[in-house]
Amino acid sequence: MIPRLELRNICKRYPGVVANDDVSLSILPGEIHAVLGENGAGKSTLMKIIYGAVQADSGEILCDGNPIHSHNPAVSRALGIEMVYQHFALFESVSVVENIALSVTTPFNLAALSRKVLELSQRYGMPIDPARLVHNLSVGERQRVEILRCLLQNPKLLILDEPTSVLTPQAVLRLFDTLRQLAAEGCSILYISHKLDEVQTLCDTATVFRNGRVTGTARPKQTTATELARMMVGSKLPEMHVSPPVPAEKPMLEIRGLSAAATDIYGVDLADISFDVFGGEIVGIAGVSGNGQAELVSLLSGERLHPQSNAIRIGGIASGHLDADGRRRAGIAFVPEERLGRGAVPAHSLIENGLLTGHRLGSVRHGMVDRKRAADFSRDIVEKFKVKTNGVRAKAQSLSGGNLQKFIVGREIALQPKLLLVSQPTWGVDVGAAAFIRQTLVDLSRAGAAVLIVSEELDELFEICDRLLVICNGRLSKSLIRTQTDREEVGLLMTGLDGSVVANGGDSLALHD
Amino acid sequence: MRFTIEQRPEPSAVMRVVAPVAAIALTLVVGAGLFAALGHNPVAMLDAFFIAPLNSLNGLSELLLKASPLILIACGLAVGFRANVWNIGAEGQLIMGAIAATGVGLFYPNPDSVLLLPLMFLAGMAAGMAWAAIPAFLRARMNTSEILVTLMLTYVATLFLSWLVHGPWRDPAGFNYPQTAMLPPYALFAPFDDAYRVNHSVFITAVAVVVMWIFTDRSFLGYKMAVAGAAPLAARYAGFRESAAIWIGLLAGGAAAGVAGMAEAAGPLGQLSPNVSPGYGFAAIIVAFVGRLNAFGIVLAGLLMSLLFLGGETVQVSLGLPSALTRVFQGVLLFFLLAADFFIFYRIRRVGGQN
Amino acid sequence: MIKTTRRQFLKYGAVGAAIGATGFPSILRAAEPLKIGQVNASPAAEIGWAKQHALGIDAIKAEFGDKVAVTVIDNIFMPQDAERVFRELASAGNKLIFGTSFSLGTPMQKVAPRFPKVAFEHCSGIVHLPNLGTFEAKYYEGAYVAGAAAGYMSKAGKIGFVGGFPIPDIVGPANAILLGAQSVNPKATCNVVFLNSWYDPGKEKEAALALLSQGCDVVCGMTDTGTCVQVAGEKGAWSIGYASDLAKFAPEFHLTAFMMDWTSDYVRAAKGVADGTWKSEERWDGLKAGVVKLAPFNKKIPAEAQAKLVQLEADIGSGKVHPYAGEIKDQDGKVRVPAGAMLSDKDIRATNWLVAGMSGKLA
Repeated sequence: MIPRLELRNICKRYPGVVANDDVSLSILPGEIHAVLGENGAGKSTLMKIIYGAVQADSGEILCDGNPIHSHNPAVSRALGIEMVYQHFALFESVSVVENIALSVTTPFNLAALSRKVLELSQRYGMPIDPARLVHNLSVGERQRVEILRCLLQNPKLLILDEPTSVLTPQAVLRLFDTLRQLAAEGCSILYISHKLDEVQTLCDTATVFRNGRVTGTARPKQTTATELARMMVGSKLPEMHVSPPVPAEKPMLEIRGLSAAATDIYGVDLADISFDVFGGEIVGIAGVSGNGQAELVSLLSGERLHPQSNAIRIGGIASGHLDADGRRRAGIAFVPEERLGRGAVPAHSLIENGLLTGHRLGSVRHGMVDRKRAADFSRDIVEKFKVKTNGVRAKAQSLSGGNLQKFIVGREIALQPKLLLVSQPTWGVDVGAAAFIRQTLVDLSRAGAAVLIVSEELDELFEICDRLLVICNGRLSKSLIRTQTDREEVGLLMTGLDGSVVANGGDSLALHD
Repeated sequence: MRFTIEQRPEPSAVMRVVAPVAAIALTLVVGAGLFAALGHNPVAMLDAFFIAPLNSLNGLSELLLKASPLILIACGLAVGFRANVWNIGAEGQLIMGAIAATGVGLFYPNPDSVLLLPLMFLAGMAAGMAWAAIPAFLRARMNTSEILVTLMLTYVATLFLSWLVHGPWRDPAGFNYPQTAMLPPYALFAPFDDAYRVNHSVFITAVAVVVMWIFTDRSFLGYKMAVAGAAPLAARYAGFRESAAIWIGLLAGGAAAGVAGMAEAAGPLGQLSPNVSPGYGFAAIIVAFVGRLNAFGIVLAGLLMSLLFLGGETVQVSLGLPSALTRVFQGVLLFFLLAADFFIFYRIRRVGGQN
Repeated sequence: MIKTTRRQFLKYGAVGAAIGATGFPSILRAAEPLKIGQVNASPAAEIGWAKQHALGIDAIKAEFGDKVAVTVIDNIFMPQDAERVFRELASAGNKLIFGTSFSLGTPMQKVAPRFPKVAFEHCSGIVHLPNLGTFEAKYYEGAYVAGAAAGYMSKAGKIGFVGGFPIPDIVGPANAILLGAQSVNPKATCNVVFLNSWYDPGKEKEAALALLSQGCDVVCGMTDTGTCVQVAGEKGAWSIGYASDLAKFAPEFHLTAFMMDWTSDYVRAAKGVADGTWKSEERWDGLKAGVVKLAPFNKKIPAEAQAKLVQLEADIGSGKVHPYAGEIKDQDGKVRVPAGAMLSDKDIRATNWLVAGMSGKLA
């Protein structure tokens, strides 16, 4: 059989980095092919080369046996190659259907397109209102738009870059059904992931990457997770050590009756949220994206103030009125969901990004930046947290997602917080880095700090949290002890189906039947 | 064969050095060709443009005199530009600074006081800041576009000046022409030497450059402004106040422009007429950007812009070329400078094979 | 250099003749062409103020040929730049330097004392120094005659006036136009508008159209364009030109123009510097000296009226008629010039009020 897509000896060099070194792989029609590798291993670059968004320095790409010349995304789409990026390429200020319309090259009618999008979204279990504006969508919802956009083109090859990180377990299964269905229809699927269990469940073949090179191919269903991980990381993955929690006597964070109206019309109102987090424990907040997590997090971090100062108490002190700087002084550190542009300034060096919150640790004196101390601070983080970079002068945007996340986590931990607030700690982060970050969070809590994690990845929450809370439609569930609950119970709470809250239409539909 | 423009993963360090050199080289080549095509001796032209103005102490004095307000204002504006605060109304702030300073100079009860000049300095700075405070207040409180407000306030300032010199401040001994009386001697900056026009106000600019450099490159406040400019959400995440960036950005530009206006009134002008600024407030925006919003770059850009201007005059005086041609040449240089800048961040590469 | 060209030979011949005629000091002057500079605030133009000054330079060239070398610098609007340009011209060996705009006055006053051997001539200036002379035209004389022509031809008795800036040089002639019209039609009135720009055809067109819609049927623009004449012509209204003969913009409707002819001032100054007799003067001439002239009258003006206009022109030239003879009231009805008196020259040069019958403000 002629491969749907064949890569021969692809090389791609960036200043200071060899992203792809002599990479060859081939995908048959109807095959689901995994590309496994750590962040920075060169997977994303390779996908962009296949899609034509980036040009290879040398090597050949063949589609259905024909070499592709003058490659670019338009050529790809003409050949039936579609790509769902890890970082979405959507226009924020227009609606879902208008975004999709932008990639439709044939004449169309917007109303008809809307119906088609709605129909596709229901068929593939990714409900979304085509009329909604993208800037109001959560990360998970944006991904649905991206996938729908591709499906609309009846692709022959679909590339997905870390697609499941924001979906509920049930939704992941639905996505897999969709992908299998597509594969059965003859569509090839290139599946980039670091989740070994998913790759083992879904994929026929896997090409494993390390440092820009192919380190092996495998049939994941017949290979052990340990073996796959070894090919990826080059050594055995560290095992998580989660010792029993030792909660402090008094809560570090007390939330009492926190209610807040959404700041935009598609946001979610928070209703009467109350919970505590104690030093020495990790509390996780689970939920499908877009159920009030963004609102809750910005209220906790101080990026948004709350008029009722008492609703948020940090270390016993009413703190609702404190801004982000004030909250940090009160002992909070915070790792946001968006790394570039929020947790770090993309165009600034790591030294400058260390200063972003680390300035309170002595690198600013008399209003002046002590550049040596600032550099030392960032260098310490890079070393302690094994951040892969060209050095502390490298720009934040030049780091891979996982490495930047390690840097941000490291920076916030360096603040020696009494309470660490982490949103999506390992979203889009490779296994090695994710394990490292999780272990760091556990260690921090066992050293006495309170840790609050907001995540859409249940696996992660179950792995490291001591207690779980579930947020749905702006309301918070009762507290669950991790050892006394299971995924099914949490999954039900995520949909609001335990009867405690009314489900919010779009988001929970994904989880029905 | 096709070519495509793509962003460099990292700004090119080589191009940072090569770009301005290449721009100047290209300008010289194109300029020489242009002059030769029009029947002038290109070597004499380029000599008159770039060398002759610097060939005498008077030329250097004039260069500094012209560059000083440009550099001063550009330094102030760059503080705001780095934080995405777009003050394009420095011209108006300059006019208000000139008005306030001249007002003090003309009406201070004791014209022989050595305090006169310092008072004028403070008045000019305060007036420029006050004029910039209006857009700052509106942006911080009501999220009004400071671009529009600063620009429109320039027209208000121009008309206010026009009213003053046509009306209440008109020189009683001046045949009713629209200009004020000359400022008394103590209200004027002393020139370094009677033979040259450049005066002690260049020290103000020198201090401003150093302050600006320390502020943007060394101070924590400058760092916060840079974060606010590059990633507003990160600034909020870190707890840096957006309104602080707006106020500082606009007031810095207003203060610099106001002082520049004072220095013009107390320097080369010596009085107010309906036109106090040859567009320094607008030209400084170009200087700030050509200088990449960096103190050192702004000094070079300010000197270059002034040299271009003086060179244009020298060419007219010594070789009798029309002013239009000198402007074309000035445009060519700016074009190449900005175009070359592009290659620091982007590159052109060939795509596809032989077909 | 040993080889002598024919031209040089002639030049040295001329030098020899000069030595014979005027003595030694003339040698240097004759050997080197006399360098003359001119600084203009506005760009070069085909008509208007700049053109009339360019004609002055042309007259010098015609008179002296290659015995002079002239450098003209245009577009020096700002005083800061002007001071430098005057210095440069003086340093470059120019012995006579003209400044052709009021705004160049302060810089000239600053530069002149530094170059006592250089003669400065400032058109429309008000301050004199030992080596800074001024020359100016009595626009009001020509404006008065043009105003009388308007008085004869206007049916509505309403004149529209567009001024560049509300400075005495413009306000004075505006008054004179209305006084001239009132000498024919005592009920004549005038609406004035100021652009605050010498060159802004768009704004000027709007102003002219507004004046026409207010019922004015004669329009005069004291700016650097022919816009008012053109717009009036297109709408079938009369017009009065200023500075240059603007008939070409509306041959049918251009009544006349009051023009300046600076050639005598230019040539006189150049001669004075050339033969060492130049001294700082305060020249202010009008119809008599030919510094102010009237363009040919429109053929549609009846012969009888034309004859009276020609007579008026002659009478003003001879001093028999003075345009600012009393009684003259201002807009507010205040008597500015009592009956039997005349406005003093100093007051004319400082006019900042509008005569009765004017609508509009000096702003």
